[in-house]
Amino acid sequence: MADKEKKIKVLLAQFPLETHSRGIITVAGMLRDAGMEVVLMGNARSEQIIEAAIQESVDVVGISTYCGGELALGSELLNVAKEKGIKDQVVFLLGGIFPPKDAPKLQEIGFAATFPPSATKEEIVSRIDSAVAAKR
Amino acid sequence: MDVEKTTKEILKEKAVPEKHTPLYNPEALKGIEQEFDRWKNTVVREQDRENWGVTPHTILGSEIPRELLYTPLSNPEFDYIEESGFSGEKPFTRGIHPNMYRGRVFTMRQIFGAGSPEQVNQRIKFLLEHGATGTNWALDLATVQMFDSDEPEAQGQVATVGVPIDCVEDMEIICKDIPIDKVSASIITHYPRNTAIVFPMYLVLAERRGIPWDKLPGSVQNDFIMESLVRSASEYIPPKDDFRVQCDNIEFIRKNVPLWNYVTLNGYNLREWGTSGITEMAVAVANAIETLKDMIKRGHDVDWVAERLAFFWAPANDFFEEVSRLRAVRRLWYKIMRCRFEAKNPRSMWMRCHVQTSGISLTREEPMNNVVRAAYQALAAVLGGAQSLHVDSYDEAYSVPSEEASLLSLRTQQIIEAETAVTQVVDPLGGSFYVEALTNEIEKRILDEVDEIEKMGGIVEVVTNGWLHNKVTRAIQREQKMVADGDIKVVGRNYFRAPDLKMPDVWVHEYDESIREAMKAKLASLRMRRDNEKASNCLNALKEACKQGGNVMEYTLECARADCTEGEMRRAFVEAFGLWKTPIYV
Repeated sequence: MADKEKKIKVLLAQFPLETHSRGIITVAGMLRDAGMEVVLMGNARSEQIIEAAIQESVDVVGISTYCGGELALGSELLNVAKEKGIKDQVVFLLGGIFPPKDAPKLQEIGFAATFPPSATKEEIVSRIDSAVAAKR
Repeated sequence: MDVEKTTKEILKEKAVPEKHTPLYNPEALKGIEQEFDRWKNTVVREQDRENWGVTPHTILGSEIPRELLYTPLSNPEFDYIEESGFSGEKPFTRGIHPNMYRGRVFTMRQIFGAGSPEQVNQRIKFLLEHGATGTNWALDLATVQMFDSDEPEAQGQVATVGVPIDCVEDMEIICKDIPIDKVSASIITHYPRNTAIVFPMYLVLAERRGIPWDKLPGSVQNDFIMESLVRSASEYIPPKDDFRVQCDNIEFIRKNVPLWNYVTLNGYNLREWGTSGITEMAVAVANAIETLKDMIKRGHDVDWVAERLAFFWAPANDFFEEVSRLRAVRRLWYKIMRCRFEAKNPRSMWMRCHVQTSGISLTREEPMNNVVRAAYQALAAVLGGAQSLHVDSYDEAYSVPSEEASLLSLRTQQIIEAETAVTQVVDPLGGSFYVEALTNEIEKRILDEVDEIEKMGGIVEVVTNGWLHNKVTRAIQREQKMVADGDIKVVGRNYFRAPDLKMPDVWVHEYDESIREAMKAKLASLRMRRDNEKASNCLNALKEACKQGGNVMEYTLECARADCTEGEMRRAFVEAFGLWKTPIYV
């Protein structure tokens, strides 16, 4: 019960070479306004992202991507999460510019949801709420 | 010690007309005023009278209030010669050339470059065979961020959004059979460090082919605002060091490669990241001012440096604001060069610019609407007197543009040029009561923001202390809320959104992992073949130059000659300057 009351904590990160950050800054603001605790990590490698997720005991890891490679890098991230034993405890999300047909593949490898550039605050927040509730 | 005057203070003192000759005579103005009051109070509806000034809310707009009607009373002191003049003459409001597009139409410079060096070489040849006169290469993310294709970070990123360049050999492949002394190349090295690393590879390519450097035409971007502020990255060097590399590059290229454009002050990406058109221009102008001050401190003549400066702007949706912005910054730049720097060469006073339509204003919903948005933005750029233009493609919210979408972008430019006749008359909106008033207001606001930056210690300082990062961060979040709340209307997204909206099937660029494998093999073979001791000595010398002073490009050039790779040079910079943490708070 106490767990359900706790503020949802989200780590936002990008793959190491991503140059764009408008999306991640926008989403950080949306989630903070929705009452979540946001850790804005910025660019990092998979091991660093998972390490930070463990240290910060986050409920959610959100990845922002614009420049391709999301399938390769996303798989790597979730493999590391699995190795470190947090794949099933933490909700993984991905948003940004990626081929629409990759969305099912991204969900198959373990992202609970993917968001295109037009996703609204309501869509993102409600998806996080329900996914976190299911894990708690 | 004298406190240095700000640019605004200097202009206030020096940019005053020798002789003020208002266009309108006082009697006529008085008559207009009486008639205006009558009309406003009796003909105009009360609700319009009460809402006389309306602030347009647009994507990346400046939020300058607009009156319902503009008249000579909007600018009663209008002095034609002082404020407008003639095209090709001071204050250049109407354009930098007397004949503008009748002399030379705007350059249609579409970016391209996704693919391997071999594929990009084929693409360049194709474009040259089809009438292109210059090339404009996008670099892939690993190259932009200065990582080699074989570093673990480069996984999934090689050749996706541009061409990978790890070493001189890649340059040789990209430029195979291309007459680089005749075809101008715009190599989009956004940052000072990747300019310092990648451009010398081009110079070494020329050397190996026996082409003298003074024959090479082209440009690089080389803007520390891009590297320290706008981009996201896993590692940054301190902004003051980055600014120094920017200035070192300018100095080296100016001395050694006289036809090359060594800096493009990039407002575009800053604005697209999330600022108004005013901040976009104020930041680029403030960077230009600080750069020229640094060059003068190094003992160079201001005209020697300034005559090849160029700017890069983003036109968004507010049509008349975009036209007025180009006119305003052209006049402001003239005043700064004449009064602040006392330049003698008229070329130094030209605000030359490349313009790219706004990507951030494009939507994923109903992507064909983006064709219309980009066309209006491109038209604004042309009416504003841009020197060169890239029109964004309608599928950019999905992917790197398809061939079909790129062609449509080029066609958009050609239709403006050949079918609308807008290129026949110079500055066609000059003299509009509205456009002249807006031009004055925008010029004033840009200078006010330059002043704010200078009073806080200058452009390097406001980047270092996070003021600018956080100004942009707040603007990004505010704009998102305005779109979410419908205060900014976006057709098809929040305004007349189709009830049964479906995302269309859009072609998207596929990632080809085999290119990275080939690049890795090439690097492995290079490291076997080259003189590794020499490479390592050159890298050490670069590190020392970073620490001790000395122009870094002289040392990156030696590294390129010794076949050092991009990633190796990046690490030398980081080891010498140390890392800096970007001051973003949300």
